[in-house]
Order: sequence, then C-alpha cells, then structure tokens
Amino acid sequence: MTATRNVAIVGGGQTTWGERDATWKDLAQEGGKATFDAVPGVGPDDVEGLFVGAVQPERFANQTHVAPLVAELLGIEVTEMIARTELACASGQAALRYAWLAIAAGQLDVALVLGVEKMNLGREHMPEVQSSMANVLDREFDGVNGLAAPPFFAWYAQRHMHEFGTTREQLSLVAAKNKTNASRTDFAQFQSTVDPDEVTDSPEIAPPLHLYDCSGITDGAAGAILMSEEKAREVTDTAAWITGSGQSTMAGNSINNLPSFSGWPQAREASQNAYDQAGIDDPLAEIDVAEVHDCFSISEIIEYEELGFAERGEGGQFIEDGRSHLDGDVAVNPRGGLLGCGHPLGATGVSQALEITQQFQGDVTNDRQVDDAATGLIHNLSGSGSVHSVMVLDRDPQ
Amino acid sequence: MTDTSTDDEREQVSVPSEIEFPRLLDFYDLQTADQTQIHEFYDNLRAGQLTTTRCTDCEAIHFPPRIVCPECTGDALEYVDLPHDGELFAFSAVRGGLPLGLREHEVPYVVGVVDLGPVRLSGRIDDAAYSDLEIGDSVSLKIVDIDGPTDEDRVFYRFEPQ
Repeated sequence: MTATRNVAIVGGGQTTWGERDATWKDLAQEGGKATFDAVPGVGPDDVEGLFVGAVQPERFANQTHVAPLVAELLGIEVTEMIARTELACASGQAALRYAWLAIAAGQLDVALVLGVEKMNLGREHMPEVQSSMANVLDREFDGVNGLAAPPFFAWYAQRHMHEFGTTREQLSLVAAKNKTNASRTDFAQFQSTVDPDEVTDSPEIAPPLHLYDCSGITDGAAGAILMSEEKAREVTDTAAWITGSGQSTMAGNSINNLPSFSGWPQAREASQNAYDQAGIDDPLAEIDVAEVHDCFSISEIIEYEELGFAERGEGGQFIEDGRSHLDGDVAVNPRGGLLGCGHPLGATGVSQALEITQQFQGDVTNDRQVDDAATGLIHNLSGSGSVHSVMVLDRDPQ
Repeated sequence: MTDTSTDDEREQVSVPSEIEFPRLLDFYDLQTADQTQIHEFYDNLRAGQLTTTRCTDCEAIHFPPRIVCPECTGDALEYVDLPHDGELFAFSAVRGGLPLGLREHEVPYVVGVVDLGPVRLSGRIDDAAYSDLEIGDSVSLKIVDIDGPTDEDRVFYRFEPQ
C-alpha cells in the first residue's frame, strides 16, 4: 500500500528494564511519564489514539482489557481509536503499525504507542511463566512437548550450523557485540561487557545455545509519540518518518507448516515489501542502523541474510568480519538488542523504534551514536517465527 | 494516623494456599467427540495408529489434523495413516524452565523435529541423551497414556531411537 499522509515518530521514553519491583500498572505509568517527559509540547490531552502492545497481561498480571486501563492511568481521553495489540514478541511493532496507519489514513493526528510487559513473578512462579511462553506455539501439538523458546531456536542454530557451517564462535560474537553495546544503554537489563569466550563458557540452556545466547525475562515499558507531519513540525525538527512497513506469514505456525528451519523467508518477504515502499534498492548500502530481533544469537545471524545484508548462509561470516558493529557497514542493534536490553515482549518493538529515532536526533546516551544515521529499520519476529514484521524509518519524509 | 485498631480486631479474609492442578492449564487437550471435532485422530492414536487428515477434494495432507482444508477450504476430509518411522531433522534438549505441569518430568529431555515423509512434527525423543543423537538418525513412534486431572482416557505420541 501507499500511505496517504506522512507519519513521524517524534520521540518517547522507557522505564528501567530488568527484574523490577513494580507491577504491570506501575510500569505502564512509568513508561507513560517517561514518554511525555521526553516530548515537550505533547501531553495526555493531545493524544487522540492509544495503542498498547502487551502480550500476556492475562497470564503475567491477571489483567485483561488493558488499553482502557492505560488510558485511565495516564489521563488520556481517547477520541478516535484505542486498541491493545497482541502479536507475541512483535506486539510493540504491531501497535506502531496500527498507529501509523490510523494517522496516515487521516483518522487522527497524535497517537501514543505504549508497550508494557511484566514477566518476573519470582522464581517460584517460573513454571507458570514458561507455561505461558509455550502457549505461543500451537499448544495442542507443539507446546505440549514442553517447547518454550530456547529449544525451538536451538533447532535453527543446529540446522544453520549443519547446512552452512556456521560456528559456535560466530554465535558468541553476536551475543558479545550486543551485550557490550548494551553496556552503553542506561535502561538495559544487562550492562556488563561480555567477550565471546564468556558466551561460549556460559551454562548450556538448550544445546547448542548457552545462557548468553538467550535474551532475558524482563519487566519494562517503552512509549512513543506518533504524529502527522503538520503536528510533528510543531514539536521537533528531527523525527523518524515511517517510509515502509511490511509483514509476512506463510500460512505456517505449527512445526509441520514452517517453510524453513534454517531461514525465515517471511522476513525476506516482509523486508522486501517495506524496502519497495521506502524506495530502498540495496539495503546494505542504504540502511545505516538496524534494530533486529535477536531473541537468540542465531536469530541475528539469520536476519543478516533475510533482511538482505548478507547472502544466504553467510550470516556467520558477516559478524565474523565485524560488518554489523557500530562502525561496520550497518550498525545492528546499537541499543544492545534483546540480548543486552532484555525482552519485555510488548515493549521491545517500541524501544527499537525509539533507538532509531534517537539515533537520527543525535540523542542516544554515551558512546553508541552511529555516524550520520539517516535510514534505519526495525525488525521483529514472533511466535515460531511464523510472522515477521519490518518497518523502515528515515530522517527525512519522502 | 491514629492507631484505633489492632490486628486482633481485624476480620480475616482467607484465600487458599493450594489448589488442585487446573485442567485448563494441563497441556494435553481433551480428546473425545463431545470436546473436539478431531477426536478421530485421538481415537486412531488410542488404537495404536498415528493418522492425519487428507482433503478428498484437493488431496492435501495436513498436520495437525484439521476440519477445514487450509488449501481449498473444503471440509470433506478423511483420516489417513502416517508412517511410524522417520528421521530426526533437528533436536535440542530441555534442561530447565519447564512449563507448569511438566515439572515432575525428568530433565534433561530431548525435543526434536521428526520427518515422517508426508509431514514433519515436533516430539519428545525418549531414551536418548542429546549427545547420543545426530541429524538423520532413525526414530520410531511410541504412544503413551496420559494420566492427568481428568477421568478421560488420553493418549499422546513420542519418539525413540530405533
């Protein structure tokens, strides 16, 4: 499709991420405040549409119908559109996409997108949390096998190694890069620099994946303000303009119906659609900064390939050559990714979009600024990798 | 604040500290005709045969079994036998972080993708350690009885090395 009006992400904010002494409602309030504090000139009274990304508040916080709850907590009287989005790990990007389309279509001018997840309920409740994660797959035939995320993504690591010769060391290089990037991100769950040997030496979780190959279980929220061009010009000179957005499933969700166990053709299709809309011909040359869904180290290696940065099977070599580092051909996960920042499911996509926005605005903390960042993307996969979502952002509207 | 009451005077509200494992959190679905329209799959499995649905209009074979063909939206489906022997396509091991209701099971256990030819499915691989296995190993289906929080007789399938 072609969007009819230009839409900008003008800014936003997030809570501290990690194991938080806070409820779901606390996190929603903190995230909302951080967002309004970060965008002078926009307050709750300006918001016409509210989109809340939240995956499992029913299971993690025993709460449903959460979008109106957030409206009340933040004093927002929605006049145009309100919804909660659930698309597992891509729920935050799904919320961004709804807000973008609502503004592009002329339904509203100002939207708040807030992603919130409360996941740490105490060690004694870990079986309940893992039970909820296994529900993301087809519960009757796949979840029933105790199939939470780590063994599922371990299959992809095993198959990628088997088919393409990807190495254990290459997986470790991804995790070390992202965790080290996160040491420069003040809200991140994991703030220690990590070297590749420490990844390889960390405890085995689901072979061949080790602890540091896996993203965390994280409490957190992230919010972003989206505006029509007319409104955006009133509050900021620099924003992230949404120039393309794609999603793809291939009618596969159960194990038998997934198109690949070493790749994600859905990511290729979703990104190609987004690139076509944004007028991008050569993603490696044209994308400066990418926030991609590194739920596990292997995920990022496959994403280099499917997003068009590397040839199929050469994702391992891509990290080995340092091409995804901050000063590489494309800076991948300067924020620290899911591996470093943690992964509060509904908040992740929103936080990725904020990172790109702040990279454009020259407003990232400390030492993770990508030189002259002008074009970026965010990517999320969800569930069994059955859906891939890609959004292209640009410093200039097109 | 003035202290006008003590704990002794307060009425106590009790919530239970334990409940029986709720059937709705049990991972194994109910399998009979009054619960699911794919009960024939479970009936066949209970009788010792893994089956799935095949569309009599477009001949597509599905897994999991369906009541509507996702290829042609036809609903004239028949159950066909699946092979019980297949190849290990991918596998890993679950070492911890078990879902609710599975915490009593022995860990680590192997969980993999088994290629049966017409379909690929996920399954637990019993009687094998991760380090014993390789991609391409031959595995065979086994059927297990499920003893859980329902009076219904339930079954499911697993695999084991040949």
